[in-house]
Amino acid sequence: MENLGALSILLALCLATYSFIASLTGAWKKNAFLVRSAERAALVVWGLVALASGILVNAMVTGDFRLVYAAQYSNLAMPWYYKFAAWWGGQAGSLLLWNFILASYAAVVLLLNRNKHRQIMPYVTAILMSTQILFLVLICFAANPFEVLTVGRGITAVPDGKGLNPLLQYWTMLIHPPILYMGYVGFVVPFAFALASLITKQPGDNWIHTTRRWALVTWLFQTAGVTLGAGWSYSVLGWGGYWIWDPVENASFLPWLTSTAFLHSVMMQEKKGMMKVWNIVLVSATFFLSIFGTFLTRSGIVSSVHAFAQSPVGPYFLTYLALGIVITTWLILDRLEFLKSEVPLESVVSRESSFLFNNLILLASCFAILWGTLFPVISEAVTGEKISVSAPFFNRVNIPIGLFLMFLTGVGPLIAWRRSTWDSLKRAFMFPALGGLIVAAGLMAAGMRHPYALISFALCMFVTLTISSEFYKGSRSIAAKDGIGFLPAMVELTHRNTRRYGGYLIHMGVVICVVGFSGAAFNLNMTSEIGEGQTMNIGRYQLAMKNITFGENDNYVFRRALIEATVDGKQYGLLEPEGRVFKKQNEPYHEVAIIRRLNEDLYLNFANVSADGKKAVIQAYVFPLVTWIWIGFWVMLAGTIVCLIPSKVRLEYARTQVVGVVERNAVQVEK
Amino acid sequence: MLSKWKSSLLLLVAALCLAQDSLVSPAVRRVGEKLSCLCGVCKNTVGTCDMMGCHYTAPKRDQIAAMQAKGMSDQSIVDVIVKEVGLQALSEPPQQGFNAMALVMPFIMITFGLYAIYWFIQRNQRQAAMAISNPVHPEVLDRFRAAAEKEMEKLD
Repeated sequence: MENLGALSILLALCLATYSFIASLTGAWKKNAFLVRSAERAALVVWGLVALASGILVNAMVTGDFRLVYAAQYSNLAMPWYYKFAAWWGGQAGSLLLWNFILASYAAVVLLLNRNKHRQIMPYVTAILMSTQILFLVLICFAANPFEVLTVGRGITAVPDGKGLNPLLQYWTMLIHPPILYMGYVGFVVPFAFALASLITKQPGDNWIHTTRRWALVTWLFQTAGVTLGAGWSYSVLGWGGYWIWDPVENASFLPWLTSTAFLHSVMMQEKKGMMKVWNIVLVSATFFLSIFGTFLTRSGIVSSVHAFAQSPVGPYFLTYLALGIVITTWLILDRLEFLKSEVPLESVVSRESSFLFNNLILLASCFAILWGTLFPVISEAVTGEKISVSAPFFNRVNIPIGLFLMFLTGVGPLIAWRRSTWDSLKRAFMFPALGGLIVAAGLMAAGMRHPYALISFALCMFVTLTISSEFYKGSRSIAAKDGIGFLPAMVELTHRNTRRYGGYLIHMGVVICVVGFSGAAFNLNMTSEIGEGQTMNIGRYQLAMKNITFGENDNYVFRRALIEATVDGKQYGLLEPEGRVFKKQNEPYHEVAIIRRLNEDLYLNFANVSADGKKAVIQAYVFPLVTWIWIGFWVMLAGTIVCLIPSKVRLEYARTQVVGVVERNAVQVEK
Repeated sequence: MLSKWKSSLLLLVAALCLAQDSLVSPAVRRVGEKLSCLCGVCKNTVGTCDMMGCHYTAPKRDQIAAMQAKGMSDQSIVDVIVKEVGLQALSEPPQQGFNAMALVMPFIMITFGLYAIYWFIQRNQRQAAMAISNPVHPEVLDRFRAAAEKEMEKLD
């Protein structure tokens, strides 16, 4: 079977190369047959990659440990679902998953557009296949998942595999990597349409209308992937951290930031015909940052807990990135004439300007994170000495940037398009600003002194009030006009313009997440050795050890503590933190116990046993407001889904054009 | 299935691997926050790393506590550890020489971005002013009026 798998990926590489060449040649020679043939070849690539993936998964589930990959990442004791998840547990398998997702996206794009956008589709196919070629080359020549142990090494039978890293044997690992990859890979589609539109000198915003939903769904996958990763880290690493500015975490966050900027900036192009160059730059940056993030994770250039073992994939990525960036830059510069804004920006105090500032801040954050991630490498190259860039640096730079972004989140929706007057600003902002100030004053009066936390909570209130006022004003007007209740009016309002109000919901989700992040300023932790019948205290909680048990199953040996938490003498809950040692890997793992509440989480980790073996070393934490991070994600998810629903009222944006400029542009186009 | 003594041995090995942490005093935490945890797993500081028995943080905390007991100042403790481990011991790059760029560069970029926005708005406002001062051909105006009426009808 492994030969069939290896043959499949080699054939897929040949067909992807054919598809790339045939689509470009077909477009150049205007040969529809060649173009169709290229598209069908791309569909066959999907079939071959799916077959290869099936063979690899089958090897891991059935325990065919002749395969190096299966022997490294699967074993007999693992439950079937972790054997399946071992598909993306290592370098070669996860690259195969990348290939599978990319081939699936390409197949869907080609099928959906088989009778549409015929002028640009050959170039879309070529761009999708160029990326496919990169990833197929990687699994064919640099990290082959079908390498067999027995060949040339005298090994005839391997009774069992090593198994998946214990830290990855957690339920979110079943969905986190595929969802994150769906985000990473998905950015290729808007990029392909944007570039194809540029190559063919398509006027207008067709590529944006075609790919808006792609971009939004991809952004959603990226958001979900990042949040699931944070959730995994919180629940598995044993110390409650959900974000540690690790290079691999940063790599997933960079394209998220640029795609968020793109989703905002694209509205300027749709509504006003502005920022055309900028949108192409953003969509390209997002795609290249996705590839760069994959390169960071897999090349070993920066040290990271998440990174795969060092492998020779780096030069392939760098070559692709260099070629891609050079070609894209040249195309943008060559086609600048087609990307001119249709109207000029009229005032600094306008919705348009707020989008500019929003983009600036998102990109500043992106740059700061990229800079901090790469700075150890850059500094070592320049000064010859190693340095560290740890969490304090990222927090110092990104917290003020993030707070300013929150401020803009509140300001943006209330500023009018074109220009705002001082009076209208005063009317719009007085109530929300007052609300923010009252919250800050109330918290200060209650004894809170942490400056960032105070500013953050005040801004959260400010943004909440601006969003609420938008919903309130619109719903009240509909309720009065249509004679319906306030809630049905709110649903009607949202349905009439799903993008706008879905967007507000997403902003609300961000606010809720920020409330959760701000709680970190008040975290408590305590480590203590306690035996049966003994207690420890943290915050308002008293923790009493009931018993400690030891045991084992096929996969691991464990020690488990039963701890009763009480508050003011009343039982709050029973917690069972567990420490495990996986037999195959001989690696420890902590199954933490958490009581989740809206105000705070009580989090216990059975970290160790005392030297005499009679007591448990318990790490206890109180994480205020952390649950709001996960709630915020669900609100963002709901908002994105609302955005994807077609609006009841079809909005046509009457562009407020300045006729003189339009006339001049029209003359230039005619020439 | 492993026998009980093998399981116990595994637990013992794990217990020995994970050396025991002591409670971190605020003074140790204060100095520790200036130092990066170099265990290779996390991006925390010696003050905030919560991994039990971290092979880097645990001995560094003991070292900090010992130096504090001798009455050494925070800065001199940091200097001793930097001398031993190198600049990478610091949680943030030192604010001197090329390494100062780490903190400065993001803010230079923001300043540059703000200037770019200012330049963009200025240029746009000049364009708008020029367009308004130019007389518009009546035919062009009629075309736009017709388009506007058509759009208004759609809205109705």
